[in-house]
Amino acid sequence: MTTVNESLTVLIERNTEFASEFATEPYEVAWAREARWFVVLDEPPNGVEFRLETEISPDGLDWCPLEDVQPHVAGSRVTSWSVRDFGGWLRVRGSVAGQGQVKGSIFLALKA
Amino acid sequence: MTDRAAPDYTTMRRAHSDAAPGVTKFQPLSRIIAHDDFNSGTHGWTQLSGNYDAAGNLDTLEPQMSDFRPPQLSSCNFYDVGTHGAVSGTYALKMATRPIKGHTATAIRRLTMPVRGKVQLEAYFTYKSEARALDPKNAPPKEWDGNYHPSEDLFGAFTLGSDMDDGTRYHVVARYMNTTMDNVPDRRWWAPTVVEPTGKERFDGKVNYSKLDDFTAPNPDDWKPFTEPQDLCYNEVPTKINWHYLRWQFDTETRTNVELQVNDRIYDTSQVDVPLYTEKYRSLNGLLNFYFSVRTHADVRNFLYIDSALVSIDW
Repeated sequence: MTTVNESLTVLIERNTEFASEFATEPYEVAWAREARWFVVLDEPPNGVEFRLETEISPDGLDWCPLEDVQPHVAGSRVTSWSVRDFGGWLRVRGSVAGQGQVKGSIFLALKA
Repeated sequence: MTDRAAPDYTTMRRAHSDAAPGVTKFQPLSRIIAHDDFNSGTHGWTQLSGNYDAAGNLDTLEPQMSDFRPPQLSSCNFYDVGTHGAVSGTYALKMATRPIKGHTATAIRRLTMPVRGKVQLEAYFTYKSEARALDPKNAPPKEWDGNYHPSEDLFGAFTLGSDMDDGTRYHVVARYMNTTMDNVPDRRWWAPTVVEPTGKERFDGKVNYSKLDDFTAPNPDDWKPFTEPQDLCYNEVPTKINWHYLRWQFDTETRTNVELQVNDRIYDTSQVDVPLYTEKYRSLNGLLNFYFSVRTHADVRNFLYIDSALVSIDW
């Protein structure tokens, strides 16, 4: 039987106001080979630095940065970056610096 | 003399079902509509979400239905043993709440009724709270004593629901109330006596619930237990998972519950309330949705895992 590769897109944060520092909820991705984050904001982040760092975990409890992945700075309304070799769990740690708020969604697109 | 009469169609179909790997652990009605083994994706079990306006503005979602979290394909992975795995293969469908008291996570499957009659949802499930709830404010109701682990009472409740419309809209619901909102053991099955709030009611200004309200029936007084306490197998610590068999049946011809089975307990639910909406709906003709939800009663993540699920109809 012909099969296609599994894929799954989820909204890790949906229509959320991001402020100061935050970490997204743990998400299990052991089945996936590759992942791509999308940040879709209501407005471009003018005057605000919205910085996102990919983190990984062996168990969903203890976290460290994914090595060799630079922190992502969302410089326009829709931005994206990809990650591989992340083990079983993913989340992003984010920070908002400057005047104003950032509002929008963080997608995670996964493929086996 | 051996009876060599040809088996009839029903017998043959049953034999095929029974021989199918993965189906033998269920007791389906005559026709299997869906058999979802989460080793091959989420099979249409997705995050429940509320209604929104014509511009697609998610600010218009009902607050209590705005943050149900996406289900996960979980390998049941824990800090003390690594990957635990599920009943069939490595993966299960996991619903995970935020670590916020009252937060709910959901997974819904959306079908319609090919016929009216008996409908059955079966599943193998297990439930846990976060393996290490490190925040001192999550102080357990009782101390660890070598056997009892406080995480058991930091698990709130999980719910089975179905949303249907055959000209009249109604839900059937069964909730395992592991604890009260104060983390006191309850362990009974409950059902609401009122219909679930709708987006139209909020649009019309009749209700306005908050983000952490119970979306199924927000007022705790609108719930009634229909069983005695049923102890399940939590297995003491939050990283040993034991799977339970569940079979939940209702009848869309009579709009009644039929029975609920959880392992060796079979509850006659024919007298359990099935509240009907008085309002008529367009565009819901034949609606047949199933959902699982999990709600935490503490500032601790709660998880509901489904190894596999099977929907069958008497058709």
